[in-house]
Amino acid sequence: MAEVVSLKNVVKRYTRGKQQVEVLHGLDLSIEGGEFVALMGPSGSGKTTLLNLIGGLDRADSGEVVVAGERLDQLSSAELARWRARHVGFVFQFYNLLPVLSAERNVEVPLLLTKLSRAQRRQNVRAALELVGLADRARHKPAELSGGQQQRVAIARALIADPTLLVCDEPTGDLDRENAEEILKLLEILNRTQGKTIIMVTHDPLAAAHASRRLHVDKGRLSTQEERSAA
Amino acid sequence: MKYLPLVWGALRRRPGRTLLTLLSVTTAFFLFGALQGFNVGINSALELTNVAHLVVMSRVSLNAPMPLAHAAKIASVPGVTAVTPINVVFGTYQRPTNIEVVLGVDLPALMKVSSELYVPPEQLAAYQRTRTGIIVGKSLARKEGWKIGDRIPIHAINAAKRDGTSDWVFDIVGIYDVPHHTEFAARIWANYDYINESLASGKNTAIQFYVGVKDARHSAQVAQAIDDLFANSPDQTVTQNEKEFFQTLMRQIGDIGFLVNAIVGAVFFTLLFLTANTMAQSVRERIPELAVLKTLGFTDAGVQWMVLAEALLLSIVAALLGLALAELVLPAVSSSLASQGIGAMHVPRPVFAAGLCLAVLLALVSGLPPAARARRLQIATALSGR
Repeated sequence: MAEVVSLKNVVKRYTRGKQQVEVLHGLDLSIEGGEFVALMGPSGSGKTTLLNLIGGLDRADSGEVVVAGERLDQLSSAELARWRARHVGFVFQFYNLLPVLSAERNVEVPLLLTKLSRAQRRQNVRAALELVGLADRARHKPAELSGGQQQRVAIARALIADPTLLVCDEPTGDLDRENAEEILKLLEILNRTQGKTIIMVTHDPLAAAHASRRLHVDKGRLSTQEERSAA
Repeated sequence: MKYLPLVWGALRRRPGRTLLTLLSVTTAFFLFGALQGFNVGINSALELTNVAHLVVMSRVSLNAPMPLAHAAKIASVPGVTAVTPINVVFGTYQRPTNIEVVLGVDLPALMKVSSELYVPPEQLAAYQRTRTGIIVGKSLARKEGWKIGDRIPIHAINAAKRDGTSDWVFDIVGIYDVPHHTEFAARIWANYDYINESLASGKNTAIQFYVGVKDARHSAQVAQAIDDLFANSPDQTVTQNEKEFFQTLMRQIGDIGFLVNAIVGAVFFTLLFLTANTMAQSVRERIPELAVLKTLGFTDAGVQWMVLAEALLLSIVAALLGLALAELVLPAVSSSLASQGIGAMHVPRPVFAAGLCLAVLLALVSGLPPAARARRLQIATALSGR
């Protein structure tokens, strides 16, 4: 499989008050297409920062970030936004659905940036909601759905534009074990059947067990890597 | 159009706040439309005034009585074609709030002064035959449901009768019209002599004289000649042409144009803070949502325009509602003010256009700061709640 994510000597600093804090220290990483990677590590280790750099939500201070064949550090803000729309689907811990829109409208949002007709958008939305098992909840607002259902809607939204990779930040962090397991199985199915590259930040070893590779981030560096043994 | 659900959704996020803001902006634009409409009414009345018609008043005040004997002296001034004295019964009809103004005149003389006033000959004859006869304006008759033959009781506020009562009775003997301007046919013309003879006090006086001039180009000289005539009398006069007189009347209310602009300016200045605060609050509450939109691929400029579109939608809808409401309400107000000499009020097209421009300006000024904030939003920072 071709390399989808390539980070070389990446440094990221934040300014906190008058202090500059280096969060990632010359980090190297390579992820191939079709991988399901779990990023693990203690709080403050830099895993979400790493995920944000891969997803084009933030910029590295130095080093090279190549994702889906594009040097992200060389893109303008508008180009980066268009790149995100084309290549990345995001799933967050707290779902981040727009509360005033129904499930189907939420899923449709990324397609508003495409040239698809309304009918085509609706058709794709229906298919995405069916894929996550929520076709019958299409007209419900997020507040009328359970946490697990909201996360499914978020996954449908992440998938709708057929992105190159799915970036998930603690996708089961706000769910009970049963719902978390359902979401992880769904991600696993998407990885296996549709070949989606998935990068997931998690604290939970049980969640990480669903990934094909586990990367441990500690103090801004990749410490260990584990491959999942074939079942 | 495909982004409309997002913009509409943002406005529906806090329906109560959106509704209250909408009502505030609607009220401001209603006021804007109504006051401009009022101005239109005054201006249309001014357009109908005639500089060849002179109004003679007491120098003391607008309502101070002058001797009736002035009429004959005014008639002798070269260039004067006709003179009628005017006295007034100011009272209520049926309800204490329904004010009617009955003007006692010499109707044939008045018709000589105002050639646009048309009364059919048989009705004029009936008026001259009947002491209590009145000729009523067509628009007023329509409003009150009056017809020829009706007897109208007026309870006077300003004119007690010789018999000790204040109740005047008039008989409608005719209906007059002002062709092409029926809205101005809203007066009641009575016999000067009937009112004069029935008054308990203030007999043989007039609060105005209405004077016709042969040549409009010389009306200023004629006016001056009339005032010179009474310069050394205890009852000095001020003579103005009809246009100046109307402007003097309006000045008693105030400088309408200035008032309209001052009120509208103050309202919009206040409104600017209100809408700016609402927009700022709305964006502040939605920082994570706006960050999500950027995450999904909306550009900084796209998110900025989305916030501006919210302000524009709210402002333009409210402006249209307010102006439409003013357009609906003004005809009703017009009919009640017609007897005061104010013309038909409506919101003219240019005011609609100016209102919409104002709405856009309001939206831009109040929406730009929060929109710029939305544009500058850093996704990672906003999503982490920092």
